[in-house]
Amino acid sequence: MSAGGFPGSGLAKGLAVTLKTMTRRSTTQQYPDVAPELPPRSRGVIALLAENCTVCMLCSRECPDWCIYIDSHKEEVLVPGAARPRQRNVLDRFDIDFSLCMYCGICIEACPFDALYWSPEFEYAEYDIRDLVHDKDRLGEWVATVPPPPAHDPMGEPAKEEQNAAKKSAAA
Amino acid sequence: MAEALRELTVGTGAGIETEDMILNIGPQHPSTHGVLRLKLALDGERVVTAEPIIGYMHRGAEKLFEVRDYRQIIVLANRHDWLSAFANELGVALAVERMMGIEVPERAVWLRTALAELNRVLSHLMFLGSYPLELGAITPVFYAFREREALQAIMEEVSGGRMHYMFNRVGGVKEEVPAGWTRRAREVIGQVRGRLPDLDRIIRGNEIFLARTVGVGVLSAEQAAAFGASGPVARASGLDFDLRRDEPYLAYGQLDVPVVTRTAGDCHARFEVLLDQVHVSLDLAEQCLTRLDQIGGPVNVRLPKVVKAPEGHTYAWTENPLGVNGYYLVSRGEKTPWRMKLRTASYANVQALSTLLPGTLVPDLVAILGSMFFVVGDIDK
Repeated sequence: MSAGGFPGSGLAKGLAVTLKTMTRRSTTQQYPDVAPELPPRSRGVIALLAENCTVCMLCSRECPDWCIYIDSHKEEVLVPGAARPRQRNVLDRFDIDFSLCMYCGICIEACPFDALYWSPEFEYAEYDIRDLVHDKDRLGEWVATVPPPPAHDPMGEPAKEEQNAAKKSAAA
Repeated sequence: MAEALRELTVGTGAGIETEDMILNIGPQHPSTHGVLRLKLALDGERVVTAEPIIGYMHRGAEKLFEVRDYRQIIVLANRHDWLSAFANELGVALAVERMMGIEVPERAVWLRTALAELNRVLSHLMFLGSYPLELGAITPVFYAFREREALQAIMEEVSGGRMHYMFNRVGGVKEEVPAGWTRRAREVIGQVRGRLPDLDRIIRGNEIFLARTVGVGVLSAEQAAAFGASGPVARASGLDFDLRRDEPYLAYGQLDVPVVTRTAGDCHARFEVLLDQVHVSLDLAEQCLTRLDQIGGPVNVRLPKVVKAPEGHTYAWTENPLGVNGYYLVSRGEKTPWRMKLRTASYANVQALSTLLPGTLVPDLVAILGSMFFVVGDIDK
């Protein structure tokens, strides 16, 4: 019955593996004591840089399960020298409901003004599901944890930001 | 088999007509990987009829596709079979690209192929760990998960996700890989390949494992074909069919894809196919990475602001880790599909249980069920 050799040799072979592994260092990660090293692209939580937001609503419209809530009002700004006061959108509310979020990253991709970023932070579990709705301020706190994006593979195309910068410096 | 069918009637009252007992396995049962329900009629310990009852995890994915644009569909599509998210995304992307006539840059094609193979390894390792676990062998799962962890780190570095990668886009992939990623990926592949014999030695030839799996739950090639079974389950029955070789998509046409088959069709053969396929997939992924280092250029194409598939229909199918996965896309030229039909591997494979189970014993049930390698989300969609 066994894969060759004496009876029980399959079992012995397995135990030999166990014995070999016993002499090796364990691969256990001591999670709460030692934080895991996460790559910069890791999708942990969404950070909001409210200064960049123009209330264009693209993110909340593109979200597959509509978990972004935005409220705003219009404000008139008097610009010295201009004939008419200019209108500006002011962000009142920007909530992301992380109990609904599917972590797809479409909002971040859709944002034309770089107001949203991924952060690898993941320790925001709550006892009450309602606390998973992060408001503007809470989302803003995550900005500090956003890592710089990794450099692209030299064989591929450089990042869009790099391309634009190169174009600008060539024009100047 | 002849030995297993020999029956002995002893004791008083034996041979009296008894009523069949109806036994429900699931919907909450650890060996069903989710919420599959099996309705069994038992004559003593022997299964008379078996009926898989599905739908406990139906999430209406196909209907949801109809009100989502093509980028949002990828979010949903990668979730029906949560162990092979990359392969699922790929099917949607391939279907839409074919409809729109988009040619994907070469670098993206090789990158997709490499990631699809790594995803296959991840999915197979999951079953290689969980199947012995269901049979009472607790140790192999730790070996399987050690390798999974190493590979998931590589996938996370490139896509940001450990399960739901969201890395495919219509026209290519989301973004370029980080510098040095191909080297690190190759290192991990080497590591996994080096440690894989551990998993092989610890369980493949184990006498208890052999006793529980050899000759148990034999699915013939005819039965497999009749039920539309595919993937490792069908190949273990000798059905030599693999889309990667028979109808190459991505870069598989330029690769030599060895198709792993067995003829026994029993639980052990299905396990062996899975184990050997991991080696094949690691080799393929490594070849793809080598090519990736030689091919420069973009990894996606510029798309119009609103992606609309032109009116018409197409069927794209891919060889997913669990078998053939197909997307039938019907578009009326709008930004959402008119209909997107999913053909999933688990659905067809599980149907074979209704002929596979009658005649088997209840103690073998878990062994057979586990060896069909299905994900309930993939059945119910």
